[in-house]
Amino acid sequence: MSTPDFTLYATTAIFLYIIGIYGIAVRRNMIRTIIGLEIITAGVNLNFLAFTILNEDLLPLAQYFVAISIVIGAAVASLALMITVQAYRHYGSVDLKKLSRLRW
Amino acid sequence: MAESWIILQPIIILFAGALLTPLIESLGRAIKFEKVRDAFAIIIFGLSLYSLLGIYEEVQRQGQLTYFLSPYEPQVGGVSFFVDQFSVFMALLFCLLGLFVSIYSVKYMEDDTGLDKYYSLLMVLVAGLVGISFAGDLFNLFIFWEAMSLSSYALVAFRKYRWEPIEASFKYLVMSTIGSLTALYAMSILYGLTGTLNISQLAAIIPTLKIPSQIPYLIIVAIIAGFGVTASIVPFHFWLPDAHPAAPSGISAMLSGVVIKAGVYVIARILFTIFNPVAFDFGTILVIFGIITLSVANFMALLQRDIKRLLAFSSIVNIGYIIFGFGIGAYALNVYGTAGYSIATLAVMGAIFHIFNHAIGKGLLFLGAGCFIHEAGTRDLVDLEGAGKKMPWTGTSFSLGLLTLAGVPPLSGFWSKLFIILAGFTVPGNTFMVVTTSLVVLNAIFAAAYYLWLMQRLMLRAPKPKVERAHEVPILMVLPVVILGLITVILGLWPFEIMGFAEVATRSLLGLIGG
Repeated sequence: MSTPDFTLYATTAIFLYIIGIYGIAVRRNMIRTIIGLEIITAGVNLNFLAFTILNEDLLPLAQYFVAISIVIGAAVASLALMITVQAYRHYGSVDLKKLSRLRW
Repeated sequence: MAESWIILQPIIILFAGALLTPLIESLGRAIKFEKVRDAFAIIIFGLSLYSLLGIYEEVQRQGQLTYFLSPYEPQVGGVSFFVDQFSVFMALLFCLLGLFVSIYSVKYMEDDTGLDKYYSLLMVLVAGLVGISFAGDLFNLFIFWEAMSLSSYALVAFRKYRWEPIEASFKYLVMSTIGSLTALYAMSILYGLTGTLNISQLAAIIPTLKIPSQIPYLIIVAIIAGFGVTASIVPFHFWLPDAHPAAPSGISAMLSGVVIKAGVYVIARILFTIFNPVAFDFGTILVIFGIITLSVANFMALLQRDIKRLLAFSSIVNIGYIIFGFGIGAYALNVYGTAGYSIATLAVMGAIFHIFNHAIGKGLLFLGAGCFIHEAGTRDLVDLEGAGKKMPWTGTSFSLGLLTLAGVPPLSGFWSKLFIILAGFTVPGNTFMVVTTSLVVLNAIFAAAYYLWLMQRLMLRAPKPKVERAHEVPILMVLPVVILGLITVILGLWPFEIMGFAEVATRSLLGLIGG
């Protein structure tokens, strides 16, 4: 069992962030958009924890931040899913192409 | 410590009010008088405004207040609250507009159902806003930020039986969440580098760090981009022109008047306090963003036919002025060092004063637009022509709002724009400042043209068929509009009190730089 490597975790966090943004930008499905948001949240939380490898003193507060951040992420996801349900009632679909009546 | 506890009072009052509103609603149903919840909401906003005035007096006496609420010692971080004049200035503004919107909503939202949820969410929104202005560490700020954001997503989608709020709210949610997560990412890097998220601790540690100079700029850009989504800086503004028209008018006033200001507040607070503008050149970034925001939004505003959409673009324009003011301040400090302190004070004071003016003016305009829409049943400017003739009180106040945002001299909006522009022209030799400020002046003239055009359409033209039968709205709706109109006139004629307050707030924001 080797010691955890900071660079590996920090790079994974950045990759998760980019994957999430890519997913939101490319996929035209409301559920997938929400999954993209959750992936970004995971990346950011991982970045908080990655720094604790370098410095043990950061650990207690970092855990506390991540725990609260997960709760906030869940609240955002549930609200987003609520909006998705309402959109499905209006359009019979969760395809974002059908939700393009508003101009950008 | 004991007296510092009063910092939490307004936040606790608002959260308790939000929890109690459903109970009050069922009480109201039991006694067959449902308006009791509206009265309760007004009382809660009044109470929190009263407790904020207590904090204001305390801050005037002591300069600043801090309060720790955590098992960790302040050096490490933990939950802390920090209040200075700038925070109190913003919190008073947030609460004041909340009070006006709750009074306005009594009649405006009469035909909607689920009003207990509406008022609960409105209270959480204002509690989040007050929390943001009082937060002393970044993570605490993030929590209040999300409380505010979540309630505003829900409030935009409040009329969920129509398609438009649902689409607008989803777009707002996705964009704003990406923004706040980007900001959280920046915070995680800051925490990893320094081991604390306490704002005053960070300000002390950042200059001593031995790191490549790109990393602080990466954090600065992530903070501007992250909170800039809510502040609706172009190119992160796409949610705003959809979310503002889709929300009920009272909520549009809250969103445009104070929620986007919270974004600007956070950017200013983090950048000016944590990153010393003398050492880090973020002023140029802010100035350029400000100019782009102004020009793009001004152009887009001209193309609109929907009255609320036009006002939404005009909000983006005004965010441009505010960002530009902060930017010129930071730029002057960066280029001239502490010698630029007087220019920076003038520019930042103008920006803070403009935050106030725009919150009052745009709150007034959205509430007034709500009155027109309530009577005419349309948001189309062509159909609304002449509505001001039929509704003289609303029409007159609405025109005052347009004139103050156009920067017509006796009104309050004139002074703040004057300060920002004067600060930009103080140093004639500096090409960057002179050119960008000239662009701002051009934009201000351009904006004044369409404000006056809007006023001419609403007030002077012959009434269209849809507004033929319109008449003045109920007193509870017209009262907030008229009071806000009076505020712009009174503060335009006697701006010295509020300017003094803005100046104290500026000195407190720039305090660490000294001068």
